[in-house]
Amino acid sequence: MNPQFLIDGLLTGSMIGLGAIGVTLTYSILRFSNFAHGDLMAWGTYATLLIVGAITALFGKVAPFSPLSFGWPLMLALALAMVVTGGLALLLDRILFSRLRAKGQMIIVVMASFGASMALRNMLEFLFTSRPAYFSRAIQIAMPVGFGLRITPDQIALLILTAVLVTLVHLIMTRSRIGREMRAVSQNPALARVAGIDVARVVRFTWLIGGALACVAGVMIGVLVQIRPLMGFDMLLPIFAAAILGGIGSVPGAVLGGLIIGLSEAAAVQIVGAEWRAAVAFLILMAVLFIRPIGLFGVKER
Amino acid sequence: MELLSYAAFFLTTALVFALITLGLNLQWGLTGLFNVGVAGFVAVGAYVSAILTTPDDAARIGGFALPLPLGWLAAMLAAGLVAAIVGVATLRLKSDYLAITTFGVAVVVQLVALNAQGLTGGPFGIGFIPRPFATLAETPLIFNLANLAVVALVTLLVYLALEHLAKSPWGRVLKALREDERAAISLGKSARFYRVQAFALGGAVMGLAGAVQAHFIGFIAPENYLPTLTFQVWTMLIVGGSGSNRGAVLGSILVWAIWVGSGTFVAAFVPTDQQARAAALQIVAIGVMLCLILLLRPSGLLRARVPREG
Amino acid sequence: MTRTVLSVTDLVAGYEPGVPIVRGASLTVREGEIVVVLGPNGAGKSSFIKAIAGLVPIFSGTVMLDDEEITKVPAHQLVRRGLAFVPQTENIFPLMSVEDNLKVAGGMLDRRDMTGRIEEMYGLFPDLRDKRRIAAGNLSGGQRQMVAVARALMVRPKLLVLDEPSAGLSPKFVSMVFHMLADIRKAGVTILLVEQNAKAALAIGDRACVLVEGRNAHEGRADALWDDPVVAELYLGRRHAAGPSASDKPMPEAQP
Repeated sequence: MNPQFLIDGLLTGSMIGLGAIGVTLTYSILRFSNFAHGDLMAWGTYATLLIVGAITALFGKVAPFSPLSFGWPLMLALALAMVVTGGLALLLDRILFSRLRAKGQMIIVVMASFGASMALRNMLEFLFTSRPAYFSRAIQIAMPVGFGLRITPDQIALLILTAVLVTLVHLIMTRSRIGREMRAVSQNPALARVAGIDVARVVRFTWLIGGALACVAGVMIGVLVQIRPLMGFDMLLPIFAAAILGGIGSVPGAVLGGLIIGLSEAAAVQIVGAEWRAAVAFLILMAVLFIRPIGLFGVKER
Repeated sequence: MELLSYAAFFLTTALVFALITLGLNLQWGLTGLFNVGVAGFVAVGAYVSAILTTPDDAARIGGFALPLPLGWLAAMLAAGLVAAIVGVATLRLKSDYLAITTFGVAVVVQLVALNAQGLTGGPFGIGFIPRPFATLAETPLIFNLANLAVVALVTLLVYLALEHLAKSPWGRVLKALREDERAAISLGKSARFYRVQAFALGGAVMGLAGAVQAHFIGFIAPENYLPTLTFQVWTMLIVGGSGSNRGAVLGSILVWAIWVGSGTFVAAFVPTDQQARAAALQIVAIGVMLCLILLLRPSGLLRARVPREG
Repeated sequence: MTRTVLSVTDLVAGYEPGVPIVRGASLTVREGEIVVVLGPNGAGKSSFIKAIAGLVPIFSGTVMLDDEEITKVPAHQLVRRGLAFVPQTENIFPLMSVEDNLKVAGGMLDRRDMTGRIEEMYGLFPDLRDKRRIAAGNLSGGQRQMVAVARALMVRPKLLVLDEPSAGLSPKFVSMVFHMLADIRKAGVTILLVEQNAKAALAIGDRACVLVEGRNAHEGRADALWDDPVVAELYLGRRHAAGPSASDKPMPEAQP
């Protein structure tokens, strides 16, 4: 087997892991599986694409940071689009999810997220058509890094970005006030209120983080592969599988789950062929559900 | 005459959807089990029956040219079996796991349909599926009416069977389980068994619907079974009012009418190069409608009775 | 006359509109007191104090905390107003360390104040200092109760409200919990609690009220209620025939 699958797997795993953090947080704090999460990824990517376009229109063509394929416009656009995507998630919660949540039937919220997913995705298809788009057409040369592995500068940059973001989220969850409050709400929402925690604020923050990370994951796919309305929805199964494999509610678990699934997918592509990639996540999901449904770092629910 | 023929064709398609929706109503409306992979179960039924009944084909396995009723029976068994396995794996866990797993089933079925060329014909699908009244095909009116009669009969039989089941002691247990979580917990393992049964039976009905549709169109391909199908069926059930078999049938006809109507409108008034975009907008509209109904009228549009929250 | 910390007037409350569980209960708690709410099962004791703590919808009546009306104040803002509540069960965050349980409750304190307050809590509950890094769910029943109470005390409440703090604890821990409450009162915290264990509660309480079918049936000084034969037999599970004996009698506590 060609060891290059390690690099491919690490990259796919990063995208899945970033998505899975959002899913695992919404699940543990809001108690529902958000089927629209993949579409937040796609919306974030298209938002980034639009902002890059606007910057180029304002400042003319900007030279990329050599040897990367992108320059400061993409970075600025990504930062802005993370806020936009977080805002979109908040808006969805305000007009749809929070109202259904108030009725107390969580599975109805899941259904609504499925409906919202359809609407969001097809809205993108309406606005941008299903033709793929790209951040850059430039072709990058992969550098050899030893052991027969090759990696492009873009890939290195995005892996570092993922590592930074994951560390940041982990620190927020374990060290900061809002992180403690998020853990408290996920463990016992009623007691959290009694302890003076503003649950509505925690919910808003959860959507912001989830949306922002979804945007980053989407842009990674956009930079390394291509931009399509379906790009997020196609990631949904691996993302859910990673969140469950890692143990619902665990941020390190979501990332580890993402990496395991990413590596397995990359290995499967070499062994059985790329067309069967999507089945890997499903097999892992079924195995987890049969053997250890609480996942690697999960805790039995009360 | 042509209009009547078209009406028969329209109603046949709508009733196939009604069959799928009836299966979903057994799973969701009666038992409260959330299936996001409806398209997968329909596809399993369609492919199994197609493989068993088509004439021999050198390009793929299968083509056993078995009689049609056998194909339909096998379709029900296969889809029911898949549903039962999913049920056993997930019904001891929180409801979200079932949703995610069924979603995965649909993805994998789609994958198999696309890639297992030797079994499913790959992206080109399976053709020459025997149609029950192929000899009548020269007079479309009679052909369509005959198809309608068969589909209507199957739908009626399934409808009556489900009504009967819902009123039987078995159905009452399911309702009790769904409405009283404590009863469900105290029943423990046997509660799960009841739910697996309901889920498998619902899956079997969906499989049957897939087979019926395959045999009156005569041709199937993977793109018939995309998540959009799941989404359409859910909208049909929610519009009709989940929990009611009558609502499931009426909701299917209504939503299919809206779908076809808006599709015809798009075809007539939108320039050809923009039609794909308009079709996307059509789905957006239905998605928004689904969310609005969940928000404003969770008991369904067609239901006059006091809502029993889904 | 000491200051009134809490005054509840004609409270009607319940989970569903039209089905009140609390049907016109009233109560006053003065500064420095321990007040006990007693009553038979299903009398609405627990709903009564949960309504005060903002967890059960109030249909009518008023709740005043230090001359401020808090009837409609949502639960999470009551802490800021000075009312801290300790639920009967699930009153800790089991997967968080003891210290994080305290920190999460002290969210509104500034950093230095928080550190100092946590030290004060370890002073009050020395057992917790050694367990500060351990997940609260792994502690013994009595220690969990300490975490729950310490969590509530983090923000220096004017009034500490507890729902059956002794429920489910072994006898050894029951006496520990009541000693702990007596100590907390000595530290200047006013306490309102619901209890099944009438004997132990009346022993540390100054005043008590007996709730029956959601209304006040009896109230008075703790020792007087204990000696009242009707109350004793009907609601406190104590045979009248036995009469008040020295061993049954609660320890007399000085009225503040």
